[in-house]
Amino acid sequence: MVLTAELLQATLEHLVLTYTALIAGILVAIPLIFLSLYSAGLASIIMRFSNLFQAVPSFAVVAVVVPLIGIGFMPAVIAIMLRVLLPIIKNTYIGLFNVDPALIESSKGIGLTDFQILRNVRLPNAYPAIFAGIKFAAILANSIAVLTALIGGGGLGSMIFEGFTNFNTAKVLAGVLPVIGIALFLDFSFSKIERWLTPEYLRK
Amino acid sequence: MKGDQLTTWSINEIFAEILRVWTTQLLTLRTLEHLYMFAVALFFSVLAGVLIGVLTYRNPRFADPIFNGLNIVETIPDVALLVLLLPVFGIGKGPTIVASILYSILPIARNTYTGLSNVPGQYLEIAEAMGLTRREILFEVRFPLSLPLIAGGIRIAVVFTMGVVTLGGLIAAGGLGAALQNGIQLYDMGTILVTGTWVGILAVFLDGAAGAIEHILQVRYGKWS
Amino acid sequence: MISRKLFERIKFLRLENVTKRYGENFAVRNLNLEIQGGEVLILIGKSGSGKTTALRMMNRLIEPDSGSISINGVDISKFDPILLRRNIGYVIQNIGLLPHLRVSGNIGLIPKLEGWKDERIREAVRDLLNFVSLPPQIFMDRYPHELSGGQQQRVGLARAMVMNPPLFLMDEPFGALDSLLRAQLQDEFYRIKRELGRTIVFVTHDINEAFRLGDRIAIIDNAEVVQVGTPQELIFSPATELVAEIVDSKRKYRHIDALKVKDLAQPLDKRYILDPCLSAASALDHMSAEGLEIALVFKSPGSAGRVGLSDVMKTASSGKSLEEALKPLPLFSPETSLLEALLRLKANGESMGLVLEDDKPEKVLFSDRILQNLV
Repeated sequence: MVLTAELLQATLEHLVLTYTALIAGILVAIPLIFLSLYSAGLASIIMRFSNLFQAVPSFAVVAVVVPLIGIGFMPAVIAIMLRVLLPIIKNTYIGLFNVDPALIESSKGIGLTDFQILRNVRLPNAYPAIFAGIKFAAILANSIAVLTALIGGGGLGSMIFEGFTNFNTAKVLAGVLPVIGIALFLDFSFSKIERWLTPEYLRK
Repeated sequence: MKGDQLTTWSINEIFAEILRVWTTQLLTLRTLEHLYMFAVALFFSVLAGVLIGVLTYRNPRFADPIFNGLNIVETIPDVALLVLLLPVFGIGKGPTIVASILYSILPIARNTYTGLSNVPGQYLEIAEAMGLTRREILFEVRFPLSLPLIAGGIRIAVVFTMGVVTLGGLIAAGGLGAALQNGIQLYDMGTILVTGTWVGILAVFLDGAAGAIEHILQVRYGKWS
Repeated sequence: MISRKLFERIKFLRLENVTKRYGENFAVRNLNLEIQGGEVLILIGKSGSGKTTALRMMNRLIEPDSGSISINGVDISKFDPILLRRNIGYVIQNIGLLPHLRVSGNIGLIPKLEGWKDERIREAVRDLLNFVSLPPQIFMDRYPHELSGGQQQRVGLARAMVMNPPLFLMDEPFGALDSLLRAQLQDEFYRIKRELGRTIVFVTHDINEAFRLGDRIAIIDNAEVVQVGTPQELIFSPATELVAEIVDSKRKYRHIDALKVKDLAQPLDKRYILDPCLSAASALDHMSAEGLEIALVFKSPGSAGRVGLSDVMKTASSGKSLEEALKPLPLFSPETSLLEALLRLKANGESMGLVLEDDKPEKVLFSDRILQNLV
C-alpha cells in the first residue's frame, strides 16, 4: 500500500532527524560543559539565560529559525538542537556538582588532582543525571521533530499536517501513532539503561 | 519583507515593519485569543491539579497509579496529544485548552502531593498536640507550608500551557500560533520574527512572574526547608 | 468548634499499670504513677527510658497497649482526644512554632479555631506576652525566625497557656538552649510556676534542673518507675543504686576541696555586660534587640549586679532606674577555692557569680555546673 511505503519513509526521516539532532546536541554540549566547569560564574550566567529561553514555546523557536537560518533539514536539526542543549547541559552540570562534599574533601585529602577527581569521583556520580538529561532530550527532540515538518524537515510531522489539511484522518493517525510509539519506547528503554548504569549505592 | 535574507535595517524601518505585521496579522486579536486560552487552561489546571494533589495525599494508595498515568500523558509529545483530541473535541480552541489542561495537571498535582506529604514532623506533632483536628492541620499547617512548592508546580504549568496554546494555531484555534503559521506559509520573515519575538517575550514574562510569586512564597512560607 | 472545659482543677492524674510496647521492646512497662493536683512533677531518666512516651500518653498522642490513665478519676480514653488536648498545655524541646504564622498567629491559633472574636484574641495575646516578659509592641507581629531561642521558648509557653489549661505537659522545654539562657529561663519558670499554680508534668534528663524546679521527682529507668519522691527523699533515702547514682548521693563533695574557681569558670560572652549608666528603658531595648534574657552590670571591682528581662521590664514601666532592679552578683578571683565560692553562693541564694581577672569581668561561675562536674 502506498500509505505503508510513505509511512516507512516518513518514520525513517523522523528518526534520522531526531537522532541527528540529539547527537549534535550532545556534541555541542560537551565543550559547553567543560567551559562551565572552568568558570562557575560564566556557567551560572549561561544557565540563567538558557532557563529563560526554555520558557519560549517550541513552535516559536522552530518558526524563528526560518528567517535566521533557512528551511530544510539542517535548520530543522538546529531548531531541535537549540531546545535540547539546556536539559543536557543542566543535568550534566548538576550531576557533576551534586556530589557529597565529604567525598570530594577526602579525595583531595588522598592526593587526587582536580581532573582526577572529575574523572573518578564526579563522573560516576553523574551518570544517572546525565542519562536522565539525555532521556529528556530524546523525548523532547522527538516531539519537536514533528513541528519541524513545517519548516521542511520532513518526517512524520509532514504526514500529520498533510493529513490534517486534507481531512484525511487515516493519514493523521498514521503519522501520530508512530510518534507516540517512539516517545514511549524512548522513555522505556532509556529508563532501563539508566537503571543499568546507576551504581548500586546511588539507587534509591 | 519577503525572501530569506536579512538586510541591515534602521530603527525606523524596524518599527514600520513591526507595525505592518501587527496590523496585517491582527496581532492584537491574536494576543487576546492567546491569553484567553492560556487563562482558561491555567485556571482549570490549577483547580484540577491541586484537587488531585490533595486527593492523592489523603489516599496515598492512589498516588502511584494516578501519577504513573499522568506521566504517560507527559511523555506523549504535546503535538500528538493535541492531534489525538481532534476526533473528540473538533478543532479550534476546545481541544487546545483541553490538551493544555491535561499537560499541565501533572506538575501541579505532583508538587501539591509532595508538599502536603512532606511537612516536617515537628510542626505536625505540635499541631496535633495542641488539639487540631486532621482537617484543621491540613488547612492551617500543611497547606500554607506547601504553597511555595505548589507555586513551583504552577510555574512549570505556565510554560507548558503557553507551549500548547501556541501550537493551537496549527489547528485553527487562533492565537499567536496562527500568526506564526501564516508567516511560515507565506514565507514572510517579518511576520515570523515579530510574532516569534512577541510570543517569546510574553512567555518569558509569564514565567518570570510565576517565578517571582514562587520566590515571594518561599520567603514567606518556606522557612522550614 | 467550641470546646468545653473538661476540668476546672486537676485533683490527681493517675497512670495505672500502663504498658506500651513497640515490637519486642517495652517503651513503658506496668508504669504506676500518681501526680497530685498543683504540683510540678519531674519525669527524669536517660534517653529511651520511657519518660517521653509516658508524657505523650497523658494527652493521648500515644495510646497505651494496656492499663489506664485517668484524670480526677475519669479514664481519659473516654474523652475526645482533640477536646482533651485543648484542655492541656503542651511545650516541647524544639518549641515548634509554626513558621508561617506571626507570634500573635501562633499564640492565637487555637482561640481562632475556637471561634473567639479577633479583639479578644489580641487582648489575650498581649496579656500573655507581658506575662512571659516579651513586650507586645515589639514581639506581637514578629515571625518565629526573627526570634532568638529563648524568645521562641517564651512564645511557646504563652501559646500553651492561652486556653488557661489546668494541666501542662512539658518535654525538655529548655533542652535546646545554651547554659546561660537555660539558667535564666529556669529561674523565670520557678517564678511562673508559683503564679500559675497549675499541675505540671515536666520531662528532663538533667538532674539539676529537676532539683531546682520539681516538687517531686519520678525516676524512670528501663520503662518503669524506679522511685518517686521529693528531692530530699531521693538524696537521703535512695531506693536503689541507680537512684543514688543519678542524684549523686555519695559522691557530691569528694573533689570539692582540691578545686579552685578558675578550674570551673566559663568564658563570659561580653554581649551580656551592660553599661552601668544605661537607663532601664535603654537596657530593655538593648536586651530585646540582642535577644538577651539576662544582663550583667559591672560597676567596680567591688560591686556588680545582674538583672533579668522581667525585672528590667518592671523597672522600665515604673520609671525607676536600672540600679534598683539589680540583684547583687558575688565576685570571685580565679584563685578562690571552689568550696568557699560554693558556700558564698549558697549563703547569698545565688546560682551564679562573676570571676574577675585583672579587676575586669572575664568569666562566670555557675553553681549547678560545679555540682555537675564533681562526678
